[in-house]
Amino acid sequence: MFFHIVLERNMQLHPRHFGRNLRENLVSKLMKDVEGTCSGRHGFVVAITGIENVGKGLIRDGTGFVTFPVKYQCVVFRPFKGEILEAAVTMVNKMGFFAEAGPVQIFVSNHLIPDDMEFQSGDMPNYTTSDGSVKIQKDSEVRLKIIGTRVDATEIFCIGTIKDDFLGVINDPTTA
Amino acid sequence: MARRRDEEDDDQEYEHEDQLLDDEDYYEDEDVGRGRGGSSKKRGRSDFIDDVAEEDDEEDEDDDDDEFYGGGGKKHSKAPRVGSQFFDLEAQVDSDEEEEEDEGEDDFIVETGGDLPDEDVGRRMHRRPLPLREDEQEDAEALERSIQARYARSSHTEYDEETTDVEQQALLPSVRDPKLWMVKCAIGRERETALDKGSELQIRSVIALDHLKNYIYIEADKEAHVREAIKGLRTIFGVKIILVPIREMTDVLSVESKAIDLSRDTWVRMKIGTYKGDLAQVVDVDNVRQRVTVKLIPRIDLQALAIKLEGREVSKKKAFVPPPRFMNVDEARELHIRVERRRDPITGDYFENIGGMLFKDGFLYKTVSMKSISAQNIKPTFDELEKFRTPSNNGEGEMVGLSTLFAKRTKNHFMKGDAVIVVKGDLKNLKGWVEKVEEENVHIRPEMKGLPKTLAVNEKELCKYFEPGNHVKVVSGTKEGATGMVVKVEQHVLIILSDTTKEHIRVFADDVVESSEVTTGVTKIGEYELHDLVLLDNNSFGVVIRVESEAFQVLKGVPERPEVSLVKLREIKCKLEKKFNVQDKYRNIVSVKDMVRILEGPCKGKQGPVEHIYKGVLFVYDRHHLEHAGFICAKADSCCIVGGSRSNGNRNGDSLSRFGNFKAPQRVPPSPRRFSRGGPPFDSGGRHRGGRGGHDALIGTTVKIRQGPFKGYRGRVVEIKGQSVRVELESQMKIVTVDRNYISDNVVISTPHRDTSRYGMGSETPMHFSRTPLHPYMTPMRDPGATPIHDGMRTPMRDSAWNPYAPMSPPRDNWEEANPASWGTSPQYQPGSPPSRAYEAPTPGPGWASTPGGNYGEAGTPGKAVQHM
Repeated sequence: MFFHIVLERNMQLHPRHFGRNLRENLVSKLMKDVEGTCSGRHGFVVAITGIENVGKGLIRDGTGFVTFPVKYQCVVFRPFKGEILEAAVTMVNKMGFFAEAGPVQIFVSNHLIPDDMEFQSGDMPNYTTSDGSVKIQKDSEVRLKIIGTRVDATEIFCIGTIKDDFLGVINDPTTA
Repeated sequence: MARRRDEEDDDQEYEHEDQLLDDEDYYEDEDVGRGRGGSSKKRGRSDFIDDVAEEDDEEDEDDDDDEFYGGGGKKHSKAPRVGSQFFDLEAQVDSDEEEEEDEGEDDFIVETGGDLPDEDVGRRMHRRPLPLREDEQEDAEALERSIQARYARSSHTEYDEETTDVEQQALLPSVRDPKLWMVKCAIGRERETALDKGSELQIRSVIALDHLKNYIYIEADKEAHVREAIKGLRTIFGVKIILVPIREMTDVLSVESKAIDLSRDTWVRMKIGTYKGDLAQVVDVDNVRQRVTVKLIPRIDLQALAIKLEGREVSKKKAFVPPPRFMNVDEARELHIRVERRRDPITGDYFENIGGMLFKDGFLYKTVSMKSISAQNIKPTFDELEKFRTPSNNGEGEMVGLSTLFAKRTKNHFMKGDAVIVVKGDLKNLKGWVEKVEEENVHIRPEMKGLPKTLAVNEKELCKYFEPGNHVKVVSGTKEGATGMVVKVEQHVLIILSDTTKEHIRVFADDVVESSEVTTGVTKIGEYELHDLVLLDNNSFGVVIRVESEAFQVLKGVPERPEVSLVKLREIKCKLEKKFNVQDKYRNIVSVKDMVRILEGPCKGKQGPVEHIYKGVLFVYDRHHLEHAGFICAKADSCCIVGGSRSNGNRNGDSLSRFGNFKAPQRVPPSPRRFSRGGPPFDSGGRHRGGRGGHDALIGTTVKIRQGPFKGYRGRVVEIKGQSVRVELESQMKIVTVDRNYISDNVVISTPHRDTSRYGMGSETPMHFSRTPLHPYMTPMRDPGATPIHDGMRTPMRDSAWNPYAPMSPPRDNWEEANPASWGTSPQYQPGSPPSRAYEAPTPGPGWASTPGGNYGEAGTPGKAVQHM
């Protein structure tokens, strides 16, 4: 789920960036530092949409670096248990398949794939229904439900299921 | 007294209940009376056990008594004695038995033989010092009094269940008590020895422990008494008498509650024979004969069996233990093995009888001694259980098997808050949460509404319950320590997606707790840790990609294909921690932690940080690579550093490449030096031209010999013949042949073709001339002693010629220009250097101005030259 929230961060700025463009430098550094990171609480920071305010800088003794408390608005993405997501399949193997929804990697185990879908190995490993009408392979788009999440310092990993009503392939690259 | 009770409990947990014990007390007491009358034979086996248990505590009192009464001829009045009646009883029985010794002894042996193996404490024969015999002559009144006292005691202690530590302490042997001596005796004759009483002895008791072979314990006050007692016994040969320290005395007689009831369906493991270590399931228990019928997966070599049954000669040597396989009757018939189908008269089941062995459903039914199986701490692995389940009807089989597993649960298996499900009984499938755990019963808060707030359920009827998506940690079993997310729940079995390996693990719900921790399980054995680079026995190397309970999985350093091998700890020679730098396809220096992209080979397109470098092989960690814990093994020259320069052409605006090369300068200068040390340039040049015919990239490169008689030498590869390489040594004018594995090729490499452009064309002359004015500039960077003619020297310069970003460029630029002859053959090398520029110009010229980063990294690399030629 996406959220638009305000976060705060203390930014350290090198003295060489001081000057007229200090603010711009600060913002670009903030973007570089923050966008794409992941925190357990908020999830992935997708984009910074604006700066709320920049606090007073504090010069650090010895280094000359200045610490600015920066409040910024950003869009974060955090998957939740039970959430339905659409994701692109990135890898298929006999244990299941991996899909990505933005920065989040989701694994769908073969136990959580409908029983009528069988793994077909080969050049393009895939899961196919017995009648061959539905096929999950790399680059397929699937709708899945997240049943568990694990949050690390640097990534969020989820396991999902497509063994439920209205879940499964929504766009097949081969037919498209 | 209380302690005594405890011990009794321990001993007889499975046979008697507390209530019964108390009864026994009475019974024995009565027995005492009768015993005095001369009939002591009615004593049950438990009496013996009691004696043993009590034994210790008695001593002091006894001792005291003895002393008190002078140990002489004085009559013993039993009435005031509280703790020692059992001991007394025993002693008296013994002395009684002396008359009817044979019978008594027989009795004894039969009984102990019939004991379950759990009663490890040996039987004891008690011997009293001579004077006590006079007890027998006690008059009836005294006897009566003593009995009275005893009754009073037992009825009152009946309720005295609680014991404090202090009380327990008081019962421990002290310095005043008789000591325990250990004496060596013939193996297997321990009991016999203990029972072998000679004349009247000064010792107090003899103990033979079932689990301790070769020794008996003798309790006595003095060593001399012991000596006296063992004198003349033919089963005791040693004269060494070892005193048991007081602290260890209790251990001698304490009983580990090791008692297991072998019941049907219990899982056991075979201890001996072909099936040693195999899992077996108990089918039938014969407690009397100490035999158990177990169900096994047969390990039978049908061929061998056929030969044997035909009466032909059987080769004596045991070649191998056949793998476990279900017996296929048809197969057996094909080999003309006689298969009889018989009905078991007792159970009514049909068995196939092959050569005296009974089979059913492919399983072997074997009757073995209880001693040859172990029933303790049996944790069948999943695979084993699976196998046992296969041929039989699935559902029920599993339930049976698993329910017996519950018996192995440790204490505190359930904890408050655990989600559980009822698996047996009326409440089956009821989910709930653990509220409180008592001994056997677990109070759960049921999930369903309309039920009482808490329900007490027997522990055995409960199973932990998990839902898909839970993050769990495996706390016991083979996969101990692993964490992952539950993917599927199949009754008691969970399928977990491991966090690290991204593989499915099947575990029992019992072995798992909910946890948010993320670990790989065990990550270390000895000094080797997960993801370490290790050198193996056979000089191959690899990265540890998984640590199993006893072994490592190592991804070998074979770039062609991923090769994983299971390696035992002892097969690892050492950890490789030295940091190397190598060059990628485009001759960028690659060091550990650099990001590289794999350009060739099976893992083409993968990218990630370099974790290890060894022998020109990179181990790259790609988090999206799911095999081999994300590690990819690739040749350094089929990779390209990410952000590094792809080719020299696009270097101009590429800031990253500049950064990438920042560190290079320090590293390269040594390389020219190496070369300059080399042999006669003309000669080598010639050879190189000749050697260049080979296609192997190694030819012409400078290598260092790592092993063998020429270890440490450096030289050029002249020729490659299969596994051996002919190397022209730098320091000696000779060419030697070494094994290809013995050379390391990460020494900076020379280019043969450069020689062509270089040598023999008279180019030296202008060079020499040009060098003179240059020297001042070059000195700080280079070994002044180096003969600059050699190509190693030139390498960096040439490079800098066409790379205007080289940090040291001014001198070199100039230098380049100063060598028109040498560079004439390769005009593309001086794209940025206007010929007019004077070499004296040390001031930052245009080239200088634009050189923020050193390009030394590329400088020493001939490959690049190749590309641009």
